[in-house]
Amino acid sequence: MTRAFLSGMWIHVVQFSRNPFDLSGVILWPILYASIAYYLLDARNDPRLLLGASLGAAVMLMWSLVVIGSSNALENQRWLGTLELLVAAPVPFAVVIAPITVASGVVGGYALVATLAWGTLLFHVPLSIDQPVAFAVAVPACMLAIGMLGLVMASTFVLYRAAFSLGIALQYPVWIATGLLVPLSVLPTFVGRIGWFLGPYWGFRAIREAALGPTPWPDIGMCLVVSAAYFAVGATCLRWFVRVARSRGTLKLT
Amino acid sequence: MPAIEVKELHRTYRSSKGLVRRRRTEVQALGGISFEVEQGELFGLLGPNGAGKTTTIKILTTLLLPSSGTARVLGFDPAREPGEIRRRIGHVFGGDRGLYDRLSALDNLKYFADLYRVPVRDKRRRIAELLELVGLTGRERERVETYSRGMRQRLHIARGLLHDPEILFLDEPTIGLDPVGAREVRETIAGLRDQGKTILLTTHYMYEADELCERIAVIAGGVFVASGTPAELKARVVDRTVIEIETFGLAGSVVDRLRTLAGVASVSTETRDQSEMLLVQSRVGAGLVQALLRELDGINVGKVIAREPTLEDAYVELVQPA
Repeated sequence: MTRAFLSGMWIHVVQFSRNPFDLSGVILWPILYASIAYYLLDARNDPRLLLGASLGAAVMLMWSLVVIGSSNALENQRWLGTLELLVAAPVPFAVVIAPITVASGVVGGYALVATLAWGTLLFHVPLSIDQPVAFAVAVPACMLAIGMLGLVMASTFVLYRAAFSLGIALQYPVWIATGLLVPLSVLPTFVGRIGWFLGPYWGFRAIREAALGPTPWPDIGMCLVVSAAYFAVGATCLRWFVRVARSRGTLKLT
Repeated sequence: MPAIEVKELHRTYRSSKGLVRRRRTEVQALGGISFEVEQGELFGLLGPNGAGKTTTIKILTTLLLPSSGTARVLGFDPAREPGEIRRRIGHVFGGDRGLYDRLSALDNLKYFADLYRVPVRDKRRRIAELLELVGLTGRERERVETYSRGMRQRLHIARGLLHDPEILFLDEPTIGLDPVGAREVRETIAGLRDQGKTILLTTHYMYEADELCERIAVIAGGVFVASGTPAELKARVVDRTVIEIETFGLAGSVVDRLRTLAGVASVSTETRDQSEMLLVQSRVGAGLVQALLRELDGINVGKVIAREPTLEDAYVELVQPA
């Protein structure tokens, strides 16, 4: 199963990298998001706030790439006619689908690094990371947490044909509920509580704490806990939704 | 134990339209079919588009649940034990979908080998063997998007055989292929049959079923209309004569009128480049040519031929009333 997972991840990263449109987006978006952090949040006079804003923008981009990338990838499976073959494979379907969302997370990880690099290059964002080791662990932990949330959402993409539209619609609510778009302190309390159940919330906290704050490890731990929970929920949903799709006969539909 | 056992299989598709007042529609794809396929047999499901062939294959390959009835594949229930079946069967469908276009054939095969749990030590050898079998050796590093339809179809077959399945399901494997490509695919299938592989083949080409299958079931409108060996099916029309009349500007109403003539068993038409070929089946010695030509008065008629029926005529005769 490990082999199927790693092979799936590799195949989907390669498949993604061979689409010039997707690739140009991944190159251009980090510049856009770095600009948002600099201009829109008006953080240019406070170096630490500027770094925090850049990290937030980078995690926003990471989430966008995962949710759009995995929904697009799932919709593509329908268009390519491979979804039925993936369902018919003898390995558990979650092991087939998880690599697609984690592959999007890997692309998102690159985008995070690229956003920070462009921020430093263009806007002189200070890359002074307080705890480099914790930061190096927090980034893949965040990728995993976001990728696994993508898996939960991918289960619905198996059931519904308009996966890509659903993926687009899911971008903003998660940005808001995790405090990536605006600080949670200015939003009603319940919004922050929703964020507790979302991987990007803990992923962003882990990365920010590793860069700026004193205690990143509890947040890194929470990333792993929510990732495991998401995998369990995602695998259960996938089993159930595939059963529903087999009953309705919708796996082949585009 | 038969490799495949199907009893009274039904499948109905339900759909609904409309946001406020939802209208529900039901389409019956299978109306209670039963058959068995023995180990090592190449069994053909033959029928026109929409007959229920693909629905049958989807149920047997665990991709679709039946509405009622039972099926057993190698003794396992496709609805309740999909995992047991999936590791033992291969599934190949026709058309140019079902592959990762931007990847090479080799990458496609490697990925599916991992999904189908081909042991690491066997993977390289197995892929090389299959590329050789389907005639793609030397082209395996090219992207699939550059492949012809025939090459894609042969790659599909290689993918379906990666884990050396006990049963191979081939769903219209030659659909859309040019004659040369289709012949190559049929040769590959014949090779697999000669190796003793159990194969369930669906097709709407009579000659393909005749060339490859040991037994055939003809399906139309979701029910079986006949089954047997190709020779047995042909025997159903051995007492017939087929009259072929080339016409130009044939109207549908004329065809309906011909069907009512005494002695006519069936009438079908085939559209050619500039003309319509009228195929009329009748009992031997019915002497219908003059009567048919009288009915076609006013329509330009080309050549007229009376001949013995072929297997394809038997097929047309079987599926036409459905």
